[in-house]
This record gives sequence, structure tokens and C-alpha cells, in this order.
Amino acid sequence: MSMAAESPIMSVKGLARSFGGIQAVNDCSFDVRPGRITGLIGPNGAGKTTVFNVITGFLGADRGSILLRGREILGLSPHQVERLGVVRTFQHLRLWSKMTVLENVLLGCATPAGENVFSLFLRPGAVRAEEARARERAMEVLEFFGLSGRTHEFAEDLAYPEQKLLSMARIFAADAPVMLLDEPASGLDGESLRRIVPLVRKLVEHGKTVLLIEHNMELISELSDDVVFLHQGRVLAAGAPAEITRDPALTEIYFGV
Amino acid sequence: MDLFLQLAATGLVVGSLYALCALGWGLIYGTTLHFHVAHGAIFTLAAYFAYAGQKLLGLPLAVAVIGAIAAAAACGLLIDLFIYQPLERRGAIRTTLFIASLGLLNVVENLVAIVFKPDPLRMDVGWLSNAVQIGPVFLTWLHLVSVATALAGYLGLMAFLKYSLWGRAIRAVSSSPEMARTVGIDLRRVHLLTYAVGSAISAPAGILVAMDVGADPYRGTTFVLLASVAVIMGGIGSIPGALLGALFLAMLENLGVWKIASEWQSTISFGVFLVFIVVRPRGFFGRKIHSAEI
Amino acid sequence: MTAYIAHYLVMVGIYAILALSLNLLIGYSGIFSLAHAAIYGIGAYASALVALKLGLGFWGGMVIAAGVGALASALVAIPSLRVSGDYYVVASFGLQVVVLAVFMNWTDLTNGHAGLPGIPRPNVLGWVIDQPFEYVFLAAAFAVLTYAVCWRLTNSAFGRVLQAIRDDEIAAQAMGKDVVRVKIVIACISSALGAMAGSLYAHYITYINPSSFALHESIFIASLVILGGSERLAGPIVGTFLLLAIPEVLKFLAIPDTVAAPVRQIIYGALLIIFMLVRPEGILGRVRSETEHAK
Repeated sequence: MSMAAESPIMSVKGLARSFGGIQAVNDCSFDVRPGRITGLIGPNGAGKTTVFNVITGFLGADRGSILLRGREILGLSPHQVERLGVVRTFQHLRLWSKMTVLENVLLGCATPAGENVFSLFLRPGAVRAEEARARERAMEVLEFFGLSGRTHEFAEDLAYPEQKLLSMARIFAADAPVMLLDEPASGLDGESLRRIVPLVRKLVEHGKTVLLIEHNMELISELSDDVVFLHQGRVLAAGAPAEITRDPALTEIYFGV
Repeated sequence: MDLFLQLAATGLVVGSLYALCALGWGLIYGTTLHFHVAHGAIFTLAAYFAYAGQKLLGLPLAVAVIGAIAAAAACGLLIDLFIYQPLERRGAIRTTLFIASLGLLNVVENLVAIVFKPDPLRMDVGWLSNAVQIGPVFLTWLHLVSVATALAGYLGLMAFLKYSLWGRAIRAVSSSPEMARTVGIDLRRVHLLTYAVGSAISAPAGILVAMDVGADPYRGTTFVLLASVAVIMGGIGSIPGALLGALFLAMLENLGVWKIASEWQSTISFGVFLVFIVVRPRGFFGRKIHSAEI
Repeated sequence: MTAYIAHYLVMVGIYAILALSLNLLIGYSGIFSLAHAAIYGIGAYASALVALKLGLGFWGGMVIAAGVGALASALVAIPSLRVSGDYYVVASFGLQVVVLAVFMNWTDLTNGHAGLPGIPRPNVLGWVIDQPFEYVFLAAAFAVLTYAVCWRLTNSAFGRVLQAIRDDEIAAQAMGKDVVRVKIVIACISSALGAMAGSLYAHYITYINPSSFALHESIFIASLVILGGSERLAGPIVGTFLLLAIPEVLKFLAIPDTVAAPVRQIIYGALLIIFMLVRPEGILGRVRSETEHAK
């Protein structure tokens, strides 16, 4: 296997997390290699979203470690994880629905001076310049995601596929190297899928590393470079998509035949 | 030592009243997640219902008390039905609900103050106000009744939640509303029931205060906010926690008097509360709280 | 009659500051505080005490008032906002109770119920402001200043973050916003401004006692915000103009004093319920977020 070829940008080791008596994630280990798309798959309840929540600091872990470029990020709070370069989308999008499309993306852009109360009042020039840069960047990002015609609409007024795009645009604006996408294709029809799939590919071309949860097996085969198969909180198999999707034992678990 | 025992006994009596309030408020908060400050209005109304029943309608004490509890329970239910449920249907945020609740508390307290005048009104409880001596400690029969009521309220509530069908529905909603909905529980009806039960449990606290020192229009606010402190210290969603939190708070206030002047009672309580939420934000027995579920 | 109107306008100025600052919490951050009257009181007492005991003037007093107000708020905000907004409600109520206990019971410092008389009038560049109509300008100047501060805060990247936190806190965290820090910062700013209103009040009335800063005053300030509309910067100002007129109207109706106080409270409470049920966006209505015109 070629998996050891490049050193991982993120490696999850021996992760465990239980809720009450239920072991949602149990001794889970896998690597995410830079500049590639890694698909995290598995049947419902396999612990995929829990893994996302632990990586991004929304949930603590009982055991284990998550190294980002060799640095431990387990135990950090969500905003610290984001600042170290890991961003995520949510299954239920969690857009700021009563804010505009532009504002949603602006919140992804870095505006440290404008968010700091002291510089807000004491360094208005720097704040203005930064805001102008952020707007420029936001417009570029919206362009990239094909949303530039929707700039001033409220997020809640967008159609679902566009909301999905916006949720990705928002995290892309943050310019973080690692992007975690929670079911980017769910709920989309054929045409919207054709719009989103090449975009995810383009993220990698822009130097991003993508870890995504997806249920659509066809899409996984088409999109991912590596696949991690999760079952009952453990990694059952990891490798190239072709190997995984062709394995009858895994298919049986996945489809519950 | 005698003073210490006397203060501890007073703490237990006051703690029983706090506990009744905290059990009701905690049940409602744990189940509906409404920050129901208008629970203070229920406390106040129960006191004045009982007073009016006895003094104005001339009902026998027991009838006035039972009638007041039933009326208070009905008021609790109506608040949910006519204020909170319409707000929730409209998708109001929690602050909105809280503001409406606070407004209602303000209206009820001041209406009562106009109708009954602001001065405390005491009910007649006959021999219950006689003193009893237990060792070095002096209490009244009414104080003993307060402790017994709190104990009965606690045990009754636990049994209700554990053994009755409706009680189990409340517990199901309290632990996971989504799950409860999927198994076919009607959340709105469970909320109504929770308000009725929670109000009925706290009503005796108001009535006992009316019997002991007299009903007072503005006491409900303090009681309900102390109840919320007790519930947070005990652990949100935990009934034994609410009881323990209330007793702890009352003991703290009363034993504090031993060393510190009584006007600083509330300062002690809230100081401890602040330390508590730093050290153990989930309380004695509580589940971890999330400001929102992911 | 002019003095009467001047007095009304001064009070509108002071309460507008209180309402604008409280709205930073209620409207822009979705955090409810029950302690704004206590903060107002802290400002008044701090300012009065440094004037009476240290001989410090109006300006020094105001700076100290703002500092003490922010500090008191930080004391409850830091532990409670780390957990949740509901904890802050309880903690702010605690602050309200404790601060009032200090005003009433620390008699050596605060003179208890009797209060503090003889607070000097402000001296602005050698000009002693002692006429109500002169004070109108001072109060208005501070109200405008507060409005400007609130405008800058809410029409900026910082304001955007506040709104994002109110709209979806989890998403804000996921986008790298330090939600707890932002909430604590806004609580402190809100309190610093509220305390300045207290300072303005103390030097205007020249006599303060604890009864002006009780819990019902906190509820009153909240109703100023809600009535005008918490989603627009000008909402609290409209609310202030209208609600401060109510006691004057009641005076004309010749309702006895003992009844007038609870009647006022009932009106405020009823307004809170009615507006939440019927028009939660307040009189001015809703602008759905637009921090965009900030350049």
C-alpha cells in the first residue's frame, strides 16, 4: 500500500469516547494525508460524526490522541482547533440564517483587528483596511462557489443546495489547510451533485486536505483518494476506495445484508 | 452549641421551603428548559389563594389549602398554555421566553400588591403556631409541618416520576425530547402536565410562608431565584439534587448567621454560588449541560 | 414648566444610556442581565464616594465608576458565561442582590438607607453645571457618545461575531470565534457604560440612596429596550422616551402614590408580555442584520 508514502497531516490514534454506556468511538486510529480527500464511511451509528466532533473540540475523548502536524489538539476548545487550521461543516449546516450570504462568509475571513475592541476604537485605519481586504476575499470565495449573485440575500432565503455551498464557502474563506465536510452531498439532487463534486476536487487543487463523511458510495469512489471504514466506533479497514468498495465483507456490514 | 443546633434547625425549616420551590422549578426547568421565573408568581398566588380562601371566603383551613394548591397548579398550566406554547410555536428564542416570564411575574406581584396591599397577611393556623421544644431547639408545629411537607413532596415526586405512566413520560422528555417525540409522546401535553405538577409541588411553600410569617406580594421573586440557584448547585435535571441544593443553601444562610450578621445572608449564598459554578458547573448530581446540541 | 421638561429630558438621556448599554447584552448578544440597576447604582455610588471622600471631580468619578462597573460585571460574567446564558441570569440576579445589600448594610461607606447627600455638580472646564437645562446638554452628549460606541461595536467585525453568537453559537465556535471571551467583553462594556449613567445621575440629583437601584429598576430598563425594539440601535431610545412619560401621565390621572408605583410596574410587566407575544421586534421593528454598510 502506498499509504505510508507521505507523512500524515493529521493522525488519530486510539480514540475512544462513550456516552453513558454506549461506546460511540472505540480505539479508533487513522491517518489523513495532506493534499488528498479522505472519505470516512460506515453504517449509521458507526461514530463518524462523533469523530468529527472530537477532532474539532466539541466533544472530549476518554482516551486517545489527535496530532495535527505532530501537535496534540485533543483537549483544545473548538475555536483553538479552528485557529490551528481545522475547519468543519455540519450535517445541519448551522448557517447564520438571519445574516446575509456575504456576512456568513465574512465571518469565515480573518478579521482580528475588527474583532478586537481596543483596535476597533484605537486603530480605525487598520480596521478599515482589514475589513476591505476581508470583503475582497469574501467576494472571491463567493465567486469560487458560484454564489456571487446571492451576496446580499439572507442565508435562510437560499435554496438548500446553495445553503450547502455557502456552508462550504464559509469555511473555505477561513483559509485553513484541513477541511472536514460532514455529508456534503446529502439531500442533493443530481444536478446539484454535479455542481458540488468538482468543487470538492478543486479544494484539493487549492492545496486543501479534505476529510469527509459521506453515505453515497458511488460518490465516495469517485471523490476520495483514501477511504477509512468505521464500524461500531472502530476502523475496520483503510485503503484505496476500490479495495474497500469491492470487499464483500465490508459491503455486507455497510448495507446490512 | 445550642445556638448552632437552633440555627441548623431553622436552616432545615427554611431549607424545606426552598426545597419545595426548587423541586417544582427544577422539574419544570429540567423538562422544558424554560427559565420560568414566573414560578415566583405561582408561589405568591398560592399564598394569597390560601389566605383569601380562609379569611375572605371563610373556608376551613384544609379546604383553603387544597383549593389553593389546585388553583396554583391550574395557573401554572395556563401560563404554559397561553404564553410559552404560543411563543414556542413561533420559534421564539429562549431570551424571549424569559422576558415574557419576567413580565408576568412583575404583573402578578404588583396586582397582588394593589388588591391586598403590600403588607404581609397572615393566615390563622390555630395550635400549629404553638412552640415545641426538641432538646435545646425551639420550633413551632408549623415548622415541623413544613419539613414533613417537603419530605412528602420529595418522596411523592420521586414516586410519581418512577412509577406512574405520566411521570415516566416526563422523565423521557427530560432526558431527550427528540427521543420522546419519536416514541410518540406528545411534548405539549407533557409540558402542561409538568407545569401543573411543578406548580402543585411549589404551592405549599407559598402557603406555609403565609401561615408562618404572612403572605407578601414580592417574596416570590426571591424564592424562585434562590430555587434556581439550588437547582444549578444540585445539578440540572436531578430531583435529589434540587432537594440537596435547597437544603445546602438554607443551611449556608442560617449557619452563616452564627458568625456573620444576618443582612449578609444573601451575599454569602451568591458568593458560594459563584465559586460553585467555577469549581463544579454541573452541580452535585447534574448531567453536563450543553448550551445547544450539536 | 421648562424646568419640568428639562428634568424629563435629562432623565431620558440617562435612561437612554442605560437602555442602549443593556441592549448590547439583550438584543445583540442574547444574554439577559438582571443586574443593570445594580451596575447603574455602582456607578452612582462609586462616583459619589470618590467625590465626597476623595474630593475627586465629575470626570475622575466617571472613569472610576466605569472601571468599577466593568469589574463587578466581570466578577460574575467570567464564571457564569463560561457555562451558559441561564447561569448568567442567576449570577446577575446574585450581583443585584449583593450590591443592594452592600448599599444598604455597609453603612460606614454608603450611609445605608439614608443615602449620600451633597454630591457636587459637575464642573466642565470651570463651568459648574447646576441648571437642569444645562444638564440636558451634558446628558445628551453622553447619550450620543454611548450611541456612537454602540454603533461602532455593532457595525463592525466585532458586531458580526456578536450576531453570529446569538444566531448560532456552535457555528461561531467552529469558525474560530472565542465565544466566551466575546461575551465577557460585551458584558464588561455594557456595564462600564451603564455605570457611567449612574455617575451622571448621582451628580445630577446630588443625593442617592439604595431604593433607586433595586431589582424592579433592572426590569424597568429591560422594558425600555423591549418596547422600542432590541434589534435596532435606536429602539431603546424610542422606548426610553415613551416609558419615561408613563409616570408623568399617571401623575395627571391623580392616582394615589401607593397605587401608582405598582400600577407602573404592572404596565411595564404587561408591556414585556404583550410585546413578546405580539411584536417581539418592538415598536421600531426588525432590520434583519446588516453590518455590511460598515466600510
